[in-house]
Amino acid sequence: MKSQLLLAMALGFVLLTPSLPLAQDTPTTAVAPAADMAAGAYSDGLFDDLYADDEGVESHDPLVTLNRGTFWVNDKCYFYLLKPLARGFRIVPLPVRNGLRNIFYNLRSPIDTANALLQLKFKQAGTQLSRLLVNSTVGVLGFFDVAGNYYKWERKEEDFGQTLGFYGVGEGFYLVLPLLGPSTLRDGIALVPDGYADPIYWLADYPTTLVSKGVKAINTLSLDNDSYESIVEEQLDPYLFVRDAYLQHRRYNVEN
Amino acid sequence: MRKITVLALMTLLLMLSTLVAAATPSVDASGPKEQLQQTVEAILTVLRSDCPDEKQKNQEISALVRQRFDYQTMSQGVLGRNWMNTGEVDRSKFVALFSQLLEETYLGRIRSYKGQQIIYADAQIRQNRAEVDTFIKNDGVDIPVTYKLIPSESGWVVYDVVIEKVSLIRNYRSSYNDILRNKGMASLLEDMAVKLEELKARQEQPTQASV
Repeated sequence: MKSQLLLAMALGFVLLTPSLPLAQDTPTTAVAPAADMAAGAYSDGLFDDLYADDEGVESHDPLVTLNRGTFWVNDKCYFYLLKPLARGFRIVPLPVRNGLRNIFYNLRSPIDTANALLQLKFKQAGTQLSRLLVNSTVGVLGFFDVAGNYYKWERKEEDFGQTLGFYGVGEGFYLVLPLLGPSTLRDGIALVPDGYADPIYWLADYPTTLVSKGVKAINTLSLDNDSYESIVEEQLDPYLFVRDAYLQHRRYNVEN
Repeated sequence: MRKITVLALMTLLLMLSTLVAAATPSVDASGPKEQLQQTVEAILTVLRSDCPDEKQKNQEISALVRQRFDYQTMSQGVLGRNWMNTGEVDRSKFVALFSQLLEETYLGRIRSYKGQQIIYADAQIRQNRAEVDTFIKNDGVDIPVTYKLIPSESGWVVYDVVIEKVSLIRNYRSSYNDILRNKGMASLLEDMAVKLEELKARQEQPTQASV
């Protein structure tokens, strides 16, 4: 194992070395990195440079008081209702819960496909559609992710909020939804059309749809490694941390 | 004959490139990926060791983290524009508190590590920054964790960690700036000190198996 690693490293070094002069030909030659570093390190201007792409990450949150209220209610729901249920659900063996997660992933692939199409990502739409076809059949209704494991067709979530973002619709402002958690005005509204693209909506009656959403949430939570607990424990203001993480994550997803 | 010429040329090229490589101001013989991997693996080794003394384990991990994480730059990144408006005394207080907070957070996180496989992608180096993508294999789901590094005298050091496309420093900056705007620096420092005490108390308890 160790010798393999060493060999790989040695090989990597030999392979990489000839490309070094090439890399030096790029505009970097103009700057002497070492000197630049010595002058720049720890100087007051460093953050401007290192974290330059961070400007404009301001969180627009005019409903902060209402949002904090909803966040508080959700927090109580999490600790007193959802988390205990999720813990209980852990008696179901892990492989089964992973399979259940795959089934829910599979059920949302029509949403992923439709939104990829709407964003003109045709290749991606094809991949998601193929995933749906393969996993629904060979993967036994989606229980096994055959498409991902054997064909390396990766799942990529797309929703109508991302589609709206693709066409330049701004997020509006931050919004905490009851039970559903962090969202924005745009993404909250976008839940409605996505609801219609959800096969469960067409296949099952309303109570069944609700139960399936509940099971999905509990199953997801049972697979989670206490990430919300860590945030609450570690952060000075969990509300702000969750908000900013959500917005960062969302903005990334809209751009990609 | 032609073969020999090609061979000679190739040897010459290889020698030249090695020379250039030696001339470039590389900080260490190994690159950012290897250095990061070395630190992470060393931490995991300490974690896996049977040493019963939790405190000693934490100290060892802490030393390893300190060697690879650039707390000074991170603190500056978190304060962002506010760094300029902060006095020398408050700055050093902030750096001290934030370093310890991050460390406690990291120690808490790494305890939940259950031997998942970590995959390292090759470092992407642009100018004097490097990014190393890693993936934690977690029950069939890959958690992407990207480390951003800059060179320093002691090798490549981490100035930001991006988990699931969320930059940790950026996130801290957003929330700390909000607290700064509403309550001011003195209050922020106080909150940080209180939180740090809480986290330290948590560390002293024996590790609980997560349910």
